[in-house]
Amino acid sequence: MSELLQVTNITAGYGDGPAILDGAHLTVEPGKVHCIIGPNGAGKSTLMKAICGMLTIRKGDVIFKGKRLNGMRPDQILREGICFVPQERALFPKMTVRENLRMGGFILNDQKELERRIDGILERFPILRERADQHAGTMSGGQQQTLAMARTLIIKPAIVMLDEPSLGLAPKVIQEMFDIMKMMSAEGVTVLLVEQNALMGLKNSDWGVVLDLGRTLFEGPAEMILSDPRIQELYLGGKKAA
Amino acid sequence: MAEILQILILGLALGGVIALMGSGLSLVFGVMRIVNLAHPSLIIAGAYITYWAFKLLGVDPIVMLPVASVIMAAIGVLLYRLMLERQTKSAKYSEMTVLLTFALAMVVEGALGGLFTNTQRIVSPDYATDAFFIGDLFIPKGQLYAGIVSLTIIVGLTLFLKYSRLGYAIRATTQNREAAELLGVNVNFISVLAFAIGIGLAGAAGSLVSFVFSFFPAKHGEWIAMLMSVVVLGGMGSILGTVVAALFLSVIAAFVGAWIGATWSTLTFFVALFLILLVRPQGLFGEKPEMA
Ligand SMILES: Nc1ncnc2c1ncn2[C@@H]1O[C@H](COP(=O)(O)OP(=O)(O)OP(=O)(O)O)[C@@H](O)[C@H]1O
Ligand SMILES: [Mg+2]
Repeated sequence: MSELLQVTNITAGYGDGPAILDGAHLTVEPGKVHCIIGPNGAGKSTLMKAICGMLTIRKGDVIFKGKRLNGMRPDQILREGICFVPQERALFPKMTVRENLRMGGFILNDQKELERRIDGILERFPILRERADQHAGTMSGGQQQTLAMARTLIIKPAIVMLDEPSLGLAPKVIQEMFDIMKMMSAEGVTVLLVEQNALMGLKNSDWGVVLDLGRTLFEGPAEMILSDPRIQELYLGGKKAA
Repeated sequence: MAEILQILILGLALGGVIALMGSGLSLVFGVMRIVNLAHPSLIIAGAYITYWAFKLLGVDPIVMLPVASVIMAAIGVLLYRLMLERQTKSAKYSEMTVLLTFALAMVVEGALGGLFTNTQRIVSPDYATDAFFIGDLFIPKGQLYAGIVSLTIIVGLTLFLKYSRLGYAIRATTQNREAAELLGVNVNFISVLAFAIGIGLAGAAGSLVSFVFSFFPAKHGEWIAMLMSVVVLGGMGSILGTVVAALFLSVIAAFVGAWIGATWSTLTFFVALFLILLVRPQGLFGEKPEMA
């Protein structure tokens, strides 16, 4: 196995506070969709924040393409190729769609190239093109999430981490978000996703990670998790998940 | 009719200066969520720089403006490093910064008072006492120039925020600090920069204020309330809102001053602040009062 990102038993928390993560690990393989599941407060968002440099890692390592990312700032980790879309509030509400996309390419120095890529994204996402000059904050939840995901593509990252992209969206719209993720993954962007609806998340993923109380309980192929009776019982709400 | 036009013009010219005085406060609040209670005392510091340059070297206040801004911006960087940077991780950030900037205001007032006494000062270049007459209209040159220079600086600031890469980063940090950081913005650098620009604007405002209003170290107490009302009505953090609110309130104050009595004029701002907070705390252009 040639892993792209390797998180080994990390311990991390907020400020001087208690360790929220303790014994969290995961393996990310290139080109696949990975889904982290677990109950509320398990530390799923915290794990993503630790990977992207928003939290100090107290123990353990985050290794990306063979390079240790511990202690690097979020902007440095972004430049390495890991892009994080936080749970809700990922956008600049009073900037237009186009300005949001421009911010997505903030680390690019070539402004002409940036404009070219923005046009490319607008070409591919007609709902964004129609609203290019609308303030992001005035769009629907699905449109905002589409913008947040599309915006990551501007810098052509290796890994995109999405924290609950389906939050607050209608089922039909949620499917659209998963379709966008599949498209991203087909283009060679590796996706790491947190999904509240474990069943739905795993069905749309290749790899699953079960996190609880800040530690990884299990990780493996998504089908394997889906068919594990014990995990079904605990995290998928029995046979029929909500 | 001529009287109304006359009052309107005076109100707008002063409003321009007040807009500049408030814009730095608004910018600093927007980016760092700091209500900089020391802002007006730093404007007064800028006014003293201009005053002494005029008095000792005969430098025109408008010529001195860029110099005063740069000096004050540098002081802004120092203040940020010494005082505010270490607060960023504090759980009591809002309380600490309010108290610290209040303490700073007192220190600046005390220091200026100790150095230059509490005598009223005003810089008087020729144009400060001169006026244009258009028919029956009387337009004091000093106020007119100050208003025009203020609005020019604000237009420049707005263009910078709207179109430059750093301007994008400042706006992004204002709207969503975490998202800005995640997209590669060094938000600490942007905070220092915004604070330096904010205090630089205080310096610029000080140069203009120096020949428009008489000033002394303790004057800032009156100004903070005036600037608060402008910034709150504008929607904390919105520069455009600050400008609109400053022009609006200043015109009203001009009418109140002319028709009811000069002593009631400043009260306009204080009453406005009180009413806005009760009725529409998000101001004209601000977000709903939940702040992130
Ligand atoms: N900014 C913060 N400061 C301190 N503690 C925090 C902070 N954010 C989260 N926590 C704590 O970390 C723990 C894990 O939270 P986290 O948000 O990572 O959970 P989650 O698995 O993402 O939950 P959810 O499914 O509700 O999003 C919780 O106990 C929470 O109280
Ligand atoms: Mg979460």
